[in-house]
Amino acid sequence: MSGQGHPPGVGESLYRVLGLEPRASREQVERAYRFCLELYGDASLATYSLLEPTQLEAERARVRDAYTVLADAEQRRAYDESHGFEPPEPSPVPFRPPGAGTAGEEAEEAKLPPVLTGADLRRIREARGLTLRHIATVSKIGLRFLEYIEEDRFSLLPASVYLRGFLQEYGRLLGLDARRTAEAYMSRIPGGT
Amino acid sequence: MALSVSEAFPSPLPGPRRQIWSVGGGKGGIGKSLLTASLGWQLARMGRRVVLVDADLGGANLHTCLGLPAPERTLGDFIQRRVETIEEVLTETGAPGLRLISGAADLLSAANIKHLQKVRVLTRIQALDVDVVLIDLGAGTSYNILDFFLISDVSILTVVPEPTSIENGYRFIKSALYRRLRAAAPRQAVRQIVEAALDPKNALAIRTPVELLEQVEREDPEATEILRREVAAFQPRFIVNEVRDAGDVNIGHQLVAACARHLGIRASYAGYLHHDDAVWQSVRRRRLFMSDAPGSRAAEEVRQLARGLLKGESLGRGY
Repeated sequence: MSGQGHPPGVGESLYRVLGLEPRASREQVERAYRFCLELYGDASLATYSLLEPTQLEAERARVRDAYTVLADAEQRRAYDESHGFEPPEPSPVPFRPPGAGTAGEEAEEAKLPPVLTGADLRRIREARGLTLRHIATVSKIGLRFLEYIEEDRFSLLPASVYLRGFLQEYGRLLGLDARRTAEAYMSRIPGGT
Repeated sequence: MALSVSEAFPSPLPGPRRQIWSVGGGKGGIGKSLLTASLGWQLARMGRRVVLVDADLGGANLHTCLGLPAPERTLGDFIQRRVETIEEVLTETGAPGLRLISGAADLLSAANIKHLQKVRVLTRIQALDVDVVLIDLGAGTSYNILDFFLISDVSILTVVPEPTSIENGYRFIKSALYRRLRAAAPRQAVRQIVEAALDPKNALAIRTPVELLEQVEREDPEATEILRREVAAFQPRFIVNEVRDAGDVNIGHQLVAACARHLGIRASYAGYLHHDDAVWQSVRRRRLFMSDAPGSRAAEEVRQLARGLLKGESLGRGY
């Protein structure tokens, strides 16, 4: 009898530890890691009554170990090869680790095209594994408006002063430059800049 | 007395296709009644024929949430056979398509209704000629409450972002699942293991459904398959009420992850409702915020919840 809340995880892949599928993007690995750290944190309401403090610590250690491998391109490649996993999905926008320097930001800005369509935004969002509902939750922007933005339904969008704020927030959540996202999108709307 | 599966969870009488939704949570004061009333109101608004059932037999107050006086006839009248059919205790709410079966606040004994009476209530509720029956479960984990939860097509578990509520939520889930497994257990020995697991300090050191299945596997591999299917079919849906920030919203995702990893239960996250003063103000006026404050954030979130639940959608974790 293990006495644990679940099987000890023999054979469980590092992806499963983080609640991911193999081929997850680098961005997804990062998000999953943050999620699991919170899930097993000392302040977590969801696990304190299910797991003993020692079990929580053991879970955190597993999460950290999985992250150490999956967040490092070299280690991950070796792990994927030895376990027969496909390499990760390529991302349309390169991953920028938290706290990266300005060089990374400049490189990213250079990649952001001068004109962005709703479909472009959707592609970037989907590549990051983000649902529109999640964006709506975190940004507090109405789901309907986010849909109008992605569908380029300009006549239904709010006044440009509000729209700019929405686009900046949306861009920021996608890891893009907020100001340039808004400009690149609004450049297509008559009188929208 | 040992019950067979069909006795414990009677199949509905032949009749029109209808769904049963129930709203539980284990703890009092977390907004179950208000959530039931507002979801029912919204479903009726969307054209569904809805009956709300106040199964909080000790402390019924669903009518107050709807701004109604205490109905003359209640579920207690049906249970005590003062009326013959359950249709006779239906009360109009004033909202088109929305009717109410009030609980029996006057009947202390009603909270302890006998097994056969309960089966009669369950069977008649399942045969109501409506689209959705929405049941407000009382606090606690009594067998009556768990059985209403277990016969539901949509089993909603309400929590608020507080330790006591979440502890009770887990207790509710485990109790409901174990009751289901006990009813499905094909042999006495297996049933005894399930009953033992109900005591958190059991001698077999079973703390979770995962460990329970491991124990059954050792005793009776054949029964394990049956129980596994029951566990897989048990899919509670969380609603987090009274959220105040993104961290609170995230608790729903964490609960789903914790259920999957540590209890082996496939829960999902139906959605959340923000703490909203408009709700509180409507409650003070004894009116339902859906009609009293339709522009409020809570009203919009209930509309989203109703749409999502009807489609069987849940919130994704976003990664």
